[in-house]
Amino acid sequence: MLPTPIEIANAEAAPLADWTPEQQIAQMLELCEAQVESATCESDVAVDSLVKAFSGLAETARAMKAAAARFTPEQRAALGELDLKKQMEAIERQMTSAVVAFQFYDKLTQRLGHVRYSLSTLALFVCDRAQATQREQWRRLFTTLKRLYRTEEEKQIFQMMVEGASADEARDHIHQSTQTVRAGTAGDIELF
Amino acid sequence: MSGASKSILAVDDSASMRQMVRYTLEGAGYEVIQAADGVEALDLAKGRGVDLVLTDVNMPRMDGITLVKELRGLDTYKFTPMLVLTTESGPETKMRGKQAGATGWIVKPFNPDQLLATIARVL
Repeated sequence: MLPTPIEIANAEAAPLADWTPEQQIAQMLELCEAQVESATCESDVAVDSLVKAFSGLAETARAMKAAAARFTPEQRAALGELDLKKQMEAIERQMTSAVVAFQFYDKLTQRLGHVRYSLSTLALFVCDRAQATQREQWRRLFTTLKRLYRTEEEKQIFQMMVEGASADEARDHIHQSTQTVRAGTAGDIELF
Repeated sequence: MSGASKSILAVDDSASMRQMVRYTLEGAGYEVIQAADGVEALDLAKGRGVDLVLTDVNMPRMDGITLVKELRGLDTYKFTPMLVLTTESGPETKMRGKQAGATGWIVKPFNPDQLLATIARVL
């Protein structure tokens, strides 16, 4: 059987005497963390461009609305006032949807940040045999990672999987909830 | 809905979130002052009065709950509405916000119309 690219890379990078399964696991975890970080950075640039484009469109839409409000009755009649009004309202509705949708990227980067931190923490943890071989230390690690979670989705996935659900089950459950949130759009509001 | 002559300090470490908040509030006629964390917000708030503070919770240097607490300690901001806008919906964090002096809690993502209605209600 041919060696995998990772095996080749390991053979080239480290002398055999230094090879331990823990180091390999740590290296793979760090690799995953680096990939997530790289993808997040690329997305940040793209989303920044999108936000700027959105802001430009929003300014234009507002300027058009203000200009339309200054039309004389004759101009309105010539353009067909009802149609123009409906079109402006449609643009505003689409802008509102975009404002909600953009916020999901903020949630995404926050959650990926937690994944990155978890991967880095786990990489350090598995290399420390004194910790990694003790059940109590694993429990503490889980508690530490749980504290990271801010969104309801992260907390639910954690809870479901700790209670024995598979990754697929947790993902399907959250996918259904997320679809509901997207359709219903906003989060809760509570005044104290 | 018009927020003529009212100023809002919007605090969030995410640039895209600040843009979405600014777009929503300026469209309703509010003046929007932006800060990227609690320390910057506190400096801005001390330098000039604002009519409402809208803050995220998790930010570098100073979090939103500490910011609310710090502002409530200043005479100028004893009765100023302060809304928290966050992804956090856990009762413990919400309680910490309430105890710090927050006026209300809004879970992201916000709906622009609902956000404006809430602000109009507390202003």
